[in-house]
Formats: sequence, structure tokens, C-alpha cells
Amino acid sequence: MTFTSPQKIVLRVLYLKTNKNWSDIISTVEFNHTGELLATGDKGGRVVIFQREPESKNEPYNQGEYNVYSTFQSHEPEFDYLKSLEIEEKINKIKWLPQQNAAHSLLSTNDKTIKLWKVTERDKRPEGYNLKDEEGKLKDLSTVTSLQVPVLKPMDLMVEVTPRRIFANGHTYHVNSISVNSDCETYMSADDLRINLWHLAITDRSFNIVDIKPANMEDLTEVITASEFHPHHCNLFVYSSSKGSLRLCDMRASALCDKHSKLFEEPEDPSNRSFFSEIISSVSDVKFSHSGRYMLTRDYLTVKVWDLNMETKPIETYQVHDYLRSKLCSLYENDCIFDKFECAWNGSDSVIMTGAYNNFFRMFDRNTKRDVTLEASRESSKPRAILKPRRVCVGGKRRKDDISVDSLDFTKKILHTAWHPTENIIAIAATNNLYIFQDKVNSEMH
Amino acid sequence: MEFRLEAHRIVSISLGKIYSARGQRGGLKLHKNLLVSLVLRSARRVYLGEPGGECGLPPRPRDPPPPDCERLRRGGYRPLGSEAAARGRVECPAESPRKRSAVERGQAAGSPGKKPRREAEPSPPQEDMETGNVASLISIFGSSFSGLLGKERGAAEASEPGQVCCEQPVLRSLNPWSTAIVAF
Repeated sequence: MTFTSPQKIVLRVLYLKTNKNWSDIISTVEFNHTGELLATGDKGGRVVIFQREPESKNEPYNQGEYNVYSTFQSHEPEFDYLKSLEIEEKINKIKWLPQQNAAHSLLSTNDKTIKLWKVTERDKRPEGYNLKDEEGKLKDLSTVTSLQVPVLKPMDLMVEVTPRRIFANGHTYHVNSISVNSDCETYMSADDLRINLWHLAITDRSFNIVDIKPANMEDLTEVITASEFHPHHCNLFVYSSSKGSLRLCDMRASALCDKHSKLFEEPEDPSNRSFFSEIISSVSDVKFSHSGRYMLTRDYLTVKVWDLNMETKPIETYQVHDYLRSKLCSLYENDCIFDKFECAWNGSDSVIMTGAYNNFFRMFDRNTKRDVTLEASRESSKPRAILKPRRVCVGGKRRKDDISVDSLDFTKKILHTAWHPTENIIAIAATNNLYIFQDKVNSEMH
Repeated sequence: MEFRLEAHRIVSISLGKIYSARGQRGGLKLHKNLLVSLVLRSARRVYLGEPGGECGLPPRPRDPPPPDCERLRRGGYRPLGSEAAARGRVECPAESPRKRSAVERGQAAGSPGKKPRREAEPSPPQEDMETGNVASLISIFGSSFSGLLGKERGAAEASEPGQVCCEQPVLRSLNPWSTAIVAF
């Protein structure tokens, strides 16, 4: 998607799911590897999977819409009796496994337990049993005079989701991320202080590969905030910290990867120092580019692109909402400064996207250096509506339709966004609403 | 002065957050509480006028301490401001955050009768005993705060804002928890 001018960004709504309950607040969004399926997790522990309808020649305008494919309860609230703590059922992350047969598999996690789910379709059922009738009741054997071979007959599509593995008791602290390895056999889960490596088939043990817990908890100065495996090199992974640093680790170097192979951090700008410098430098999300050459990080005010070959500073920094820099104290007071925004690459790694407040989300084109602010709102949710670029004015000349910084609604935050792996289709979670936008003009990646 | 007012406000807000975090569903959020305690530490430093709170600002001149603190001083305890000044160390905010804890440890280690780790963070209840949490919180608040959130120990009322008093063992005998969240 190139941004030669703002008018070229034409996004239309494909699907809008609205919910009104607190427990329906969407907490994670993830496309699968082909983009055919989109999974969302919510605070109530539910997972909803959407499937893209195949394009139809009869209705070209409805091409590729996403409809609900399956809904299931992934996690329930639990109570840790030993520590007198409730364990929230909120789904923190969902990650799809690469598809290896007709079934789809995904990992979902709450604060403590990761689960592997298998999603299968059933569209045929056997009919003509010898011993039971159509309803399944046993037949009176005296009425059976001949034998028949049961035949598979088509039936209405039924999607079944079954829990295949439950990876429990691996984490003392809150799990913030999971990542499937490119080897398709292992995955890692990270909490505030530790990262564990699991085998997808083994639930009763895991290997601890990173442990930053100090011997004395009073010495604690930073926590792990996000982690991800390299998309191609199965031995490499990265984790981000609350101090704004990234550590690239190589599992071939040692079993315990406390010592990093590379440390990526940018020195702090002394002129921007405030009480809240540490909070706003905490990295809330880290994502490898599809190429594996770059990493994308999100902190409170910026997104940064890092080159794996350069540890001293990011190669690109984009301001998401720098006008908030003077309002950090208020944002601290209302807890907004702790919001954890995610970030996403498009399929060709040329555009990056992240959410902001007032249901705004931002896209940055790395090649043209142009950026755009769009809004996920009711007005833009009419089918085939075209999204209009928005602008936040910070004093000075104010154009019509600009929003002033003081009018921003900080309760409307877009924390979770996802980009289709190959096409210009994006999924935006705005509190408890899901928006799916498609680039009408260019549906293929440029 | 404005800095001190803002610092005061931030300290109050931070203490409120730590307090309300205890009842949160899902347990203590370690990351958030760590960040809050870092803000609390910075604000406290500015409020007390310690060197390092504002780069280049000298320590605030101290009023005569109340009788409680006299007792403490006889026990070998020294007020924050003078100890830091005595060391002559000024920590500039321009230093990287990573270095700060090392400097603080140096400062704290030199003061007798104080907990060695002043910049301690709240421990997660998952792994530490309740008293361990409280000890951490006390060591965060150091000597000038009364905002004490533990149940077993009494809260300390600072006699004057910024006054140096209340070594950890003394806190047990002081005002009950219910009377003080923020003393300022």
C-alpha cells in the first residue's frame, strides 16, 4: 500500500462486530498464516474465529468478507487458593500454528495457562448403521434382516473446536506473549520475568530459557514486556523490556539465554526527561518484519524500526501522538500512560500500523515517509464507506474536521490491530467492536 | 517550588495507585507497579530536593527535626539530605536510567541503620510474604513518608513534609495504618 496522497487510501468496512458487555472487550486479534482466518480473544475468555468468504462472481462487492466461523470458551476464571488470587480469564494472546493438515490449530493464553486448540470441520456424517437407528437408539435386533454399509452423506457444516493440550503451571508471573517457532515444534511463552520454551506435544514440562528475576526482588528494575521468535531462524528470538531495550538471544549459544547476543537500545534524550520518561520508554510490543531483517517496537509515544545489524539506535522513528508529551501527568493520573499498544507490519514490510486514542489508528509508509490517521467509528462503519483521513490539531491553524487534543476521548483506545499476511486487509479492535477494513483500490500488496 | 508541588501531587497519585493495586482482580501487576514505584522514587527525590531529583539543585536546608528523629539520630541514623550532600554526589538526569540504580545503591549503602536497598520495588505477593511487601514499600518510602499500605505495621506520620524521621523498626509502634495514606 503506497501513500502517494491521502486520497489514495480507500478503506471500506467488511465486518463490524458490536458488543456491549465489559467481558466482550477484545483483548487480542490475530490473522492466521494465509489470512483466511481471523481470531479474536476477549476479556471474558472467549475466542471468536472469523473466516473469509471465498470471492464470488455473483456478488463482486461482497468479495472476501469475514463471517463468524466458530466461537468457543477458551479460558475460565480460576482461583489460586494458595495465594488467594483470582486468575483472570482474559485472553492475552492468540497465535496460529502453521497449518499442516485439514485442521487449523491455535494457541491461546491467559495470565497463567496456555492452551492448544484444534479447529476441524465436519460436513459429512455416516448414515445407515446396522445396530442403531437415525436417532442413535439401538435397534431391535429381530427387525434387522440384512446388513448394510454405512454411507457418508453431506450435512450442514459444523465447526468443532477441541482443546488438545493444556500447558499449565509454567508461570509464576503474568504471561504477556507467546510465539510459535519456525520449526513448528516448539513455542515460547514469556511472563514478566521469565521465558519458557515448550514442545507443542509435551505439557508436563518446559525449559526456562530466560530468567531475569533478581535474587532479591527489591533489586528489580526491569521486566520483560514482549517476546517473539525470529520468523526464519529457529534459534533466534527477541524480548523487549520495560526500560526500552531489546535483547536478541541465540539458543545455540547456551541453554539459558540470560546473556543476550545483541542488545538494542537508544540513549535517552536528556531534553525530554520527565518523571514519566521511564514509563513512556517501556516497549509494549515487538514484532519481527516478515523478511526477518527488521524489528518493530512500540512505546507510548513512538514506533521504531530497528535493523538487526545495528544495535545503537533504531533506523526509523515515527511519532504516533507526540502531542501527548505535554500531558503525561494527566495520562499518568488516569492510567492511560500504562496502555499497551501493539504494532503491525504489512505483508511487504513497507507500511507499519499502530493504534492510538479516540479510536484513531495510524499508518506509516516507510518508503514515502507519509503517514495517515484514520478512525474506526460508527460513521465509517457503513458498508463500502470510505475512510477519511483525520487530523489532530495542536493549536495554530485549525481546519474543519480537525480534532483538538483536548477533545480526544482517551477511553476509546485502539490497542490491538492486525494486518493480513499478504493483502491490504486490516483488523482493528476498538474496545468491544471489531472493524475489518480492506483497501478497495489495491487489494493486492504492492 | 513548582517542581515540588508537582512532585507532591505525583507522589500522592502514585501511592493511591499502589494502594488500589492490592485489590485488583488478577493479582498484582508487576510491570505497572514497577513503573509506578519508579515514578514515585523520582518524584520523591524531587520533593525532598535531593541531588539527582533535579540536576544541579542543592539539597534543601533542613528545619530542626522533631524529637522522634533526635532519637533516631542518636542511633546512628543520618538525615537524607545531609548524607547525600556529604557525599557530594550529584546525579544528573542526563545519566542513563541504567546507571541510576547503581548510584542510588552507593548512596544508600553509606547510610547506617537504613535498609541497603532504598530504591526497592514492591515485591509481587505471588512470591514474597506479606511482610516482605511491606518492607519493600517502607524502603521505597524511606524516611519521609507515612503512606504505608501494610496491615501488620503501623503507618508513620511525617511530622513535617520532608522531615527526616522514622527508621523502619520505629514504624511498628507508630500510628495505625488506617490514619495515614498520604501525610502531606
